[in-house]
Amino acid sequence: MPKYAEDPAWEDVVPIPQDDGGPNPLAAIAYTEEYSEAMSYLRAVMANNEMSERVLDLTEDIINMNPAHYTVWLYRAKVLFEIDADLRAETEWVNKTAFRHLKNYQIWHHRQLIVDKLGSAEGEADFIARMFEKDAKNYHVWSYRQWLVRRFDLWEDGELEAVEELLKKDVRNNSAWNHRWFLVFGKDQDGAMKDKAVTDREIEYAKAAIEKAPQNQSPWNYLRGILRLSAQPLSTVKAFASRYASLDDADSVNSSHALDLLADIFAQEEGAEEEARQALSLLAERYDPIRANYWNYRASLLNGSAGEAKAKGQSAAA
Amino acid sequence: MPSPFSRLSPALEPHTQLAEPSFDTKRHVTYWLRCLKTFLPNVYTANDSNRMTFAFFVVSALDLLDCLVPHTTAAEREGYAQWIYHCQHPAGGFRAFPGTDFGDRRSAQNECWDPANLPATYFALATLLVLGDDLERVKRRECLAWLAKLQRPDGGFGETLVNGRIEGGSDTRFGYCATGVRWILRGTVEGPVEGVEDVNVDQFVQCVSLSETYDGGISDAPFHEAHAGFTYCAISALSFVDRLPHGAKTYDQNAREDDRPLAGLSDLHATIRWLASRQTATLDDDDEVDTNGDETDTPSTCHDAHTFVRLRGFPSEQGEQSYKERPTSHLDLQWAGFNGRCNKLADTCYAFWVGASLDVLHKAPIASRPRSRRYLLDRTQHPAGGFAKHPGDPPDIYHSYLGLAALALMREPALKPLDAVMCVSVAARRCVDGLRWRRSIVGEGGGGRGEEGEEGKGEGVTKGTERTEGTEARGGESRPAAPSSAGTTASASDGFAYMAISGG
Repeated sequence: MPKYAEDPAWEDVVPIPQDDGGPNPLAAIAYTEEYSEAMSYLRAVMANNEMSERVLDLTEDIINMNPAHYTVWLYRAKVLFEIDADLRAETEWVNKTAFRHLKNYQIWHHRQLIVDKLGSAEGEADFIARMFEKDAKNYHVWSYRQWLVRRFDLWEDGELEAVEELLKKDVRNNSAWNHRWFLVFGKDQDGAMKDKAVTDREIEYAKAAIEKAPQNQSPWNYLRGILRLSAQPLSTVKAFASRYASLDDADSVNSSHALDLLADIFAQEEGAEEEARQALSLLAERYDPIRANYWNYRASLLNGSAGEAKAKGQSAAA
Repeated sequence: MPSPFSRLSPALEPHTQLAEPSFDTKRHVTYWLRCLKTFLPNVYTANDSNRMTFAFFVVSALDLLDCLVPHTTAAEREGYAQWIYHCQHPAGGFRAFPGTDFGDRRSAQNECWDPANLPATYFALATLLVLGDDLERVKRRECLAWLAKLQRPDGGFGETLVNGRIEGGSDTRFGYCATGVRWILRGTVEGPVEGVEDVNVDQFVQCVSLSETYDGGISDAPFHEAHAGFTYCAISALSFVDRLPHGAKTYDQNAREDDRPLAGLSDLHATIRWLASRQTATLDDDDEVDTNGDETDTPSTCHDAHTFVRLRGFPSEQGEQSYKERPTSHLDLQWAGFNGRCNKLADTCYAFWVGASLDVLHKAPIASRPRSRRYLLDRTQHPAGGFAKHPGDPPDIYHSYLGLAALALMREPALKPLDAVMCVSVAARRCVDGLRWRRSIVGEGGGGRGEEGEEGKGEGVTKGTERTEGTEARGGESRPAAPSSAGTTASASDGFAYMAISGG
């Protein structure tokens, strides 16, 4: 069913059909007539650099069928700015489209352009909250949120509280943990790492989350990240990790991540290789057998292990 | 929801033989030949702009299955090459699909809407190599000059050049494609070649370092969340420019460090830990389980608790004994896929992104290959051929290719060995060395990626591991085959670009 060819509003346009390059095209798609026709009209208006209201309709049509088209979005943005279109209306439309194409990249870039031009983050928090209801780990949404924070200086604007809310709902939402890291350390990581009050607060926050769910790797990673980047020795959390895993009570390990951390702590301790080895073998044989090869590899790195030869022998014994 | 108490350690598993899954060569060949020789279903329209990438998947999959030459004529293969050259941009690089070409109405005023595309350029070159083309028709100088213009001041690369502006994201996917194009066209030689400026390699390495995350992974931009796809792209890109840290060049971590220019990956151990942590038995929503009753889980949350095996919970020795005798859900640990981010579900494609990352770092034996293989073949391999993203989903080209690639990395006998960095068969990658014009640039022995002993990396360890794991205890629980849903209809389920950002 031709749509544009029979529309008087488009009768001045000479469509450019697609040339698919000979008899052996690769990844040829069974296009609908509707798509082929719309694309032919898109090429025609692009070729003329047409900047008009009807181009917005046409690009919308294309985007609904092929949201990954990398120049149609750029073209649409140019038209919007050239004809001085209502950018609020555009964000409304983008909202709808975002819900239909949750994993499309281009749409977020487009949104950024529009919101940047509007110069206001008003309504964005609501939109993001609705996106998170669908998927609280959507990578694009989190990336966009970081951009908003930087662009509109929202660091102190309830962001930390919002993340805490999300972590209350799901303490294993690693994206939320990552956003917390960004909020605390994203402005000036080196400075924040030197601020004992900040690192202490964050270490306590991670510990409290571990208390709730010891087998959740996110806060353990967060904790390790702070210790590493603030140059605090791992041994400062030895007592804490021992609450969830102890070699003296190998039957009641409550967290493989605690055991992993202890193994690292022992490995750095003078004369504690044997303990490190024991922790790693508990992980390999009992508590995290999926990663047996990894734990054995780690054991091969301990002092007194003869490198590769040892690693081979131990893996074979896994 | 299964009780956490039903988890047993492997030591307690019953020693009965579990049937090893098989790779269904015939069905995969059928699936891919259909992709090559018939139109892709209409649902792929959402990926029309990624056609060059899909072309790569289709051609390279058939090559991995070793049936490209037997099932196509030389004339057909030349026809496919012509289609790719048809997409070559007049000013260098390749279009991602013919849809932006204005034909004879192209002009200086409208050419901005028809730019060359960076991922398409990498995949076009890679596909040509797989087809046995000598790249003589590639506008190499133009392409390399264009490539240098795609580099941003921060060292990262964009996707397209529109009106002189670098457009598209600034993540390691583009860095991967840029360094891949550079490596194919001029090896690892740094500095101008044939009068064409080089990209700034130091700046690129710096840019990758800034995307390292606090947990040891790599993201698409500083402070974004670590993601296995970006991590693979970064690691492979560093390999393309020969800037991996020394510890990544051998499994033996006690080997001596030598003097090298600026290398990426500031904390190799953290990166390896992050990659190792991606393997998980949390394969679908049903796999969620608490370790402690007081945890604040939501039903929609998945996590790695599932893989954690705890013994303490047995009410009594008797209870423990009774579990010993029958297969229980601990068997699930025999099927372990990979997720792309911490606390997410496994997804077929990450078996490649993670497995290949470890492979490039010469640490392949760290992943449990038998578990990964069982996961792919028992859970996401589709009865109609191809692979799905998750168990029960219909197959799609993207996951089907990366499922194959993951298996090829694990030396699946029916598949050609894979080059982890280029994501093509080792045989196709070797064609690069044979290119006459390239030898005059990189020299007879040059242009490598600083890889020694590529064939045998970690082999001894791998084999030992597989043998042992192969005899691990199992029970007789039979795995249901992936339900047939769409049958022969592939689905571009993600609407993803060429590498899924949000999968898993």
